[in-house]
Amino acid sequence: MSKLKRFLSGMGFIKLLIYGFFLLFLIIPLLSVFLVAFTNEPINVFGSLISLEQMQTTIEQFKNATLDNFKSIFSYGHYFQGLLNSLKLSLIVSLWVLVICIPIAYGIARTKMPFKKTISGLVTIPLVIPTFISAYAFIIMFGRSGWVTYIYQQLGGEGMLIDPYSMTGIAIVQIFFFFPYALWPMVAAFKVSDVSLEEASRNMGAKSWLTFITVTFPLVIPGMLSTALVIFAVSFSDFGTPIILAPSDLNLIVVDAYREIAGFFNWGGAAILTVIMIAVAGVIYWLQNYLLKGRDYGTLSGKPKKIKLIENKALTVPLAIFSGFVVIIPLLAMGTIFLQSIATTWGKDPLPSGYTLEHYKTIFTSSLGNIQNSLVLAGGALVLSVIIAIFVSYFVVRHRSITLDFMTTVPLIVPGIALGIALIQTFNTAPLQLTGTALILIIAYTIRRLPYMVRSTVGTMKSIKQDIEEAAVNLGASTLTAAVTVVGPLMLPGIAAGSILVFVTVIKETSISILMAPAEWAPMSLAIFQNVLRAEYYSAAAMSVILVIMVLLLQALANKLSGGNKS
Amino acid sequence: MGSVVVEQLRKDFSGVTVLQNIDLDIKEGEFFALLGPSGCGKTTTMRCIAGFESPTSGTIKIGDRDVAKLAPNERNCGMVFQSYALFPHMNVFDNVAYSLNIKELRKGNLFKKVGVYTRMLNSKLVKYPKEIEKKVMDILEYVELTDHAKKLTSELSGGQQQRVALARALVMEPEVLLMDEPLSNLDLKLRHTMRNTIRRIQQDLKITTIFVTHDQEEAMSMADRIAVMKDGEILQIGTPTDLYSNPKTPFIADFVGTSNILPGKVVASDNGITTVQIGNQQIKSVTQTDKTDVQVIIRPENINVLNGGSDDYDNAFEGTIQFATYLGNTVRYDIKVGEHQLVVDTTYESGDSIKRSGEKVRLGVSPERVLLI
Ligand SMILES: Nc1ncnc2c1ncn2[C@@H]1O[C@H](COP(=O)(O)OP(=O)(O)OP(=O)(O)O)[C@@H](O)[C@H]1O
Ligand SMILES: [Mg+2]
Repeated sequence: MSKLKRFLSGMGFIKLLIYGFFLLFLIIPLLSVFLVAFTNEPINVFGSLISLEQMQTTIEQFKNATLDNFKSIFSYGHYFQGLLNSLKLSLIVSLWVLVICIPIAYGIARTKMPFKKTISGLVTIPLVIPTFISAYAFIIMFGRSGWVTYIYQQLGGEGMLIDPYSMTGIAIVQIFFFFPYALWPMVAAFKVSDVSLEEASRNMGAKSWLTFITVTFPLVIPGMLSTALVIFAVSFSDFGTPIILAPSDLNLIVVDAYREIAGFFNWGGAAILTVIMIAVAGVIYWLQNYLLKGRDYGTLSGKPKKIKLIENKALTVPLAIFSGFVVIIPLLAMGTIFLQSIATTWGKDPLPSGYTLEHYKTIFTSSLGNIQNSLVLAGGALVLSVIIAIFVSYFVVRHRSITLDFMTTVPLIVPGIALGIALIQTFNTAPLQLTGTALILIIAYTIRRLPYMVRSTVGTMKSIKQDIEEAAVNLGASTLTAAVTVVGPLMLPGIAAGSILVFVTVIKETSISILMAPAEWAPMSLAIFQNVLRAEYYSAAAMSVILVIMVLLLQALANKLSGGNKS
Repeated sequence: MGSVVVEQLRKDFSGVTVLQNIDLDIKEGEFFALLGPSGCGKTTTMRCIAGFESPTSGTIKIGDRDVAKLAPNERNCGMVFQSYALFPHMNVFDNVAYSLNIKELRKGNLFKKVGVYTRMLNSKLVKYPKEIEKKVMDILEYVELTDHAKKLTSELSGGQQQRVALARALVMEPEVLLMDEPLSNLDLKLRHTMRNTIRRIQQDLKITTIFVTHDQEEAMSMADRIAVMKDGEILQIGTPTDLYSNPKTPFIADFVGTSNILPGKVVASDNGITTVQIGNQQIKSVTQTDKTDVQVIIRPENINVLNGGSDDYDNAFEGTIQFATYLGNTVRYDIKVGEHQLVVDTTYESGDSIKRSGEKVRLGVSPERVLLI
């Protein structure tokens, strides 16, 4: 009895709270969305727990449960088409990303190509731009009145070079904005793969290109497959690009799921699509771990191996030109958005007809609320995830809590739109009617971005030896005082880096914002999205520029913090 | 200051027993060493006393208080960790002042508490009171670190860090001082100096000290009494000389100094002299025993290499030198006697007195120096 009391009075109580949080906002919503896929109507989990009447209704619902939804998926209907299209898109994108990344990664890892530093630096740009902004930039460039289209027609082309509103358009945006996710792992793979083997091959008289195809390339294949899977997953769960670019006759599973719930309130349909999305993402995650099992690029690359960098101009110059072309496209997209944001009007000409700061003025007078909302929501998610992450990492590192470790990886797998649907559905009715509140929005952001925070804090927590904490306790401090005066200050760098990452990703967040944000809490991302839908392109552009600048500044701060931490 | 009494301590880790039947009676002001090979449970014993592990059964009393219900931060045992466990974000002064801050935190009102907390997070913001300042500087002077008070602990040498850890534990005036292999991270020379420092401080303050080590020389040279542990149990407790001359088991005989250990059979026993058969030789001992199968223990320095036939020993053997090792002031021989191999230490005299391998020698041992277990 006294043991229980002691457990509850200290860290034990906090542990219970954290389990409660995950149970309430992650596990139950995911389970309940799974059940809804059978019952076809939302079930009231929390109501059933407190009211017998509600329990009866829920049991009735289960009696009427059907497999219809599952059948419809496999009967080549609308949903099945959506799934197929999404898989096809992800496959195309991941293959093309591989093709693009091989020369760039090789150039960075193995050669002294010109402008290598600049290219490596620019590669991070696409990562800070939310995809729906990239998609929208693509419209201003390649659309009917875009400047690319203008140049193309001047050169004698007919219609548009590429129709942005198509599978091709979506794929191109994703390829050019997701390739950095694959690039760095591939650079690492090229750096690590056994150079001595290649030298052996060259000594035996093999030509360089032959060595590349027969030795270098096969060695990096496992690493490449797993990066391809990362891209596959990112493309599959991306919501920003397709929601802007997908034409009405092209159904993709993320867009379908969004429309089922936001347009038709079809709970069963949204639920089955959510289940399918999570299943696909889960399989990809599993495959990735399976491929990476037994390989640890981290420790391998820890061995400093002197690689002789190739200087041959005939190889390095074309590599540099190609790499430059790839990194310049996201830059052009951003530049286009910037031009639009300061344009008086920009019609079917290569350049705007005049320049003005009017759009920024409009934003700072009429849309200040959205910026405020973004900051408040991201701030809320930051505070919540800092608190949760500190304790989670304490339990994961000190108590070896595997359950909590697992629970913080689940959000990495679940696509944002799927998490959103699960939460909306679960908290739709009394007694816990939270859908449409800022609270559930903050919680959704928190759950989704918690893994970044936890990764950062677990890392620093691991570097704090347990005996330092025990020394504090031995000197008379309570566990809590020891945590505040010793563990806390030592964790600060990890917390700071993690917080900025959470803040940045929340500001960029698209799917959760569009799906869950109530009008009075609309953040910047939702405002831009609505402006694009309403064809208010100039203010959308100005807001996008502000968003990207905020993200860039914070990201630079985070890099500085984590960089200073390492040295 | 207090005594430490441990009775029938037992500790299981998920069903595996790592400590059992641990009985200790450590007197006030005593320097007590726990000695044993790696993994025998020394650290676990100490952590049970400090409160970081809760015993599966048994009682622990510090100065007549049963500590079972006391949390580790209420036990007032100063602990010096093997890794020192200094707080890397604080300077030497703040490290040492930590426990004094905590004491202030406990008695102050809310306003004061906030002040102390702030000081613990950043000592530049809130000043230390005079009495803390003085106490810390006194103890720093005592361990000769006055000049380093404002340095970060990472800027200190190993020996200096060790002394910070010691000062940090001492400043809280603990009832007992617990030290877990405090010298194992230091180089040989520093280890000898620190042995003296620790012993001097312990004698000065008369503080009850439990010292964990796997180095028998360290234990023998510092401790008033030693408990030898093996596989989670205590084999023997005694003063260093006691353990050396009367080891209870062959393991202790071997662990505490070097020993020649030979199995034999008792063949006769009269007039207080026991005769033991080893192979085809016989050896006489003054040890009384009622066993027939015994282990014969002879310390290397108690075997004499006889020059000529002059000396008269009750036990005398012929042997062949295998090889000689020069160890500073002693010369250690490995000598083959019958089918057994003996280690023999002699005082070094001069270079040419060292015997060569292959040389035949006569050895003598007096029965007082032959131990039967
Ligand atoms: N937290 C734990 N969980 C499970 N087993 C443990 C734990 N702590 C210690 N043990 C086991 O208890 C035994 C005694 O460990 P202990 O650390 O007390 O040994 P030690 O005598 O201090 O050894 P060393 O000289 O290597 O420090 C070892 O077998 C160890 O594996
Ligand atoms: Mg130990």
